[in-house]
Amino acid sequence: MKKNSILLSAYFLLILLVFPQSAYAMHIAEGFLPVKWAGLWVIVTAPFLVVGLRSIRGSIKEKPDLKMLLGLVGAFAFILSALKIPSLTGSCSHPTGVGLGAVLFGPAAMSVLGCIVLIFQALFLAHGGITTLGANTFSMAVVGPFVAYGVYKALQKMSAPHWLSVFLAAALGDLLTYVTTSLQLALAFPDAVGGVAASFVKFAGVFAITQIPLAISEGLLTVLVFNLLVSYSRQELYDLSVLKKEV
Amino acid sequence: MFQIDSYAYSNRLYSTHPGEKFAFSAATMTICLASSSMITALAVTLLMAGAVVLQAGIPWRQYLKLMTLPASFLLVGVATVAVSVSVSGQPEMYLFWFRAGSFSIGVRDQDLAVAAGIFLKSLGATSCLYFLSLTTPLVEIISILRKLKAPTLFIELMSLVYRFIFVLAETAEKIYTSQSSRLGYRTLKNGYFSLSQLISSLFVRTLYRSRELSKTLSARCYTGEIRVLETRHDISRRNIVVIIVLELLLAALALYDGGGLIGRINS
Repeated sequence: MKKNSILLSAYFLLILLVFPQSAYAMHIAEGFLPVKWAGLWVIVTAPFLVVGLRSIRGSIKEKPDLKMLLGLVGAFAFILSALKIPSLTGSCSHPTGVGLGAVLFGPAAMSVLGCIVLIFQALFLAHGGITTLGANTFSMAVVGPFVAYGVYKALQKMSAPHWLSVFLAAALGDLLTYVTTSLQLALAFPDAVGGVAASFVKFAGVFAITQIPLAISEGLLTVLVFNLLVSYSRQELYDLSVLKKEV
Repeated sequence: MFQIDSYAYSNRLYSTHPGEKFAFSAATMTICLASSSMITALAVTLLMAGAVVLQAGIPWRQYLKLMTLPASFLLVGVATVAVSVSVSGQPEMYLFWFRAGSFSIGVRDQDLAVAAGIFLKSLGATSCLYFLSLTTPLVEIISILRKLKAPTLFIELMSLVYRFIFVLAETAEKIYTSQSSRLGYRTLKNGYFSLSQLISSLFVRTLYRSRELSKTLSARCYTGEIRVLETRHDISRRNIVVIIVLELLLAALALYDGGGLIGRINS
């Protein structure tokens, strides 16, 4: 029994030592997934990118200026992910920008831009990877934005308070990204004893330590950003809703 | 601001043909991921460390520091793979184990081997990625993608994003400095408010810049396509031979040790 408690405390010590410095959104590291799973996620993600590119191409034909805007929005999303959200414990977490981007620019554009941002994160920050790009794009640039956008639109339709829909869109977008990544890991590495379900519980449980606080703090932050935008930059938001219809 | 990017322009392999560097990195990564041999993964890690430190001239301390960047995900992920959780676990299955409520949590020796394999493979693949990103500027990686026939729009967006990242990063950095010099991040609450101000003003600047840029470009007859000149590089026969020999050696090592270069891809 004593040995067990030592092991348990060693395990949590490891987590505490490894995690607190900075909690990024959860990206699967380069080379982590077996070849066939990496390939599968590329195939699953590809249609979303094709549709996203097609819709962007269509709107650029009408409005060539949109390309500049999308380029800057991509850079904006990358910079967001490099910022630090202050937190109580002295550690810092990084926003994903998934919720903000999806609400401002719509999920179709975000799938393409998200994929580009992930490539830059892999190359510039060694965060994520090229072989795991398919899996990471699916969780962060497809599932996240679509959930965030869906939640936002649904809550707005139910005439929920604006801050609540923004908060839930950002927080749920983050949470589902993390759940998707855990599922991807669980499918690739099913628990030898308990199968995929047990493995999912393991991965989701371990990464919950960073990802649930991240979802909440990003939700709060997005609400604050939106409040500022609504009070000081109404015109910009109004202009963007034109963009949202088109992209 | 971004250390890896600045090394990409200042390393000794800067003027080498980007196609060669790309092929070297991609082929090595393929062998590393396709083989099931741990020694190959270790060899790949060492080979890439050698290439980055000795050939490209990146200081080894910096390289070690960079290698620890992905470590937090890697260690936690691998530890999670190694540990099994179940309700029906029997003590004799595990190398060591304990009970938590109705769950038995333990480590089996074959899972430990799998976890070690993933760790080494991921390390090898990461070092291949580092080789590419530390020696090849992004503009040249984009030009390789263009030659590989990636969608034009995607490539154009990528190069736009690349250019704007630095503009926005500088703005964000300046805002952050002036905020923190006014104690904007002194307390948690202030920190949240400051950061949200930073993001929203960055956002407004983003829109403003894109409008300005559109005006500038249309003044220069922009009709929807941006054409740029690429630097020409000479292909070196010697490098190609070295790359082929190295890859063959690695493939031979993978076949000899793991025996599963092709079997692994098919499985």
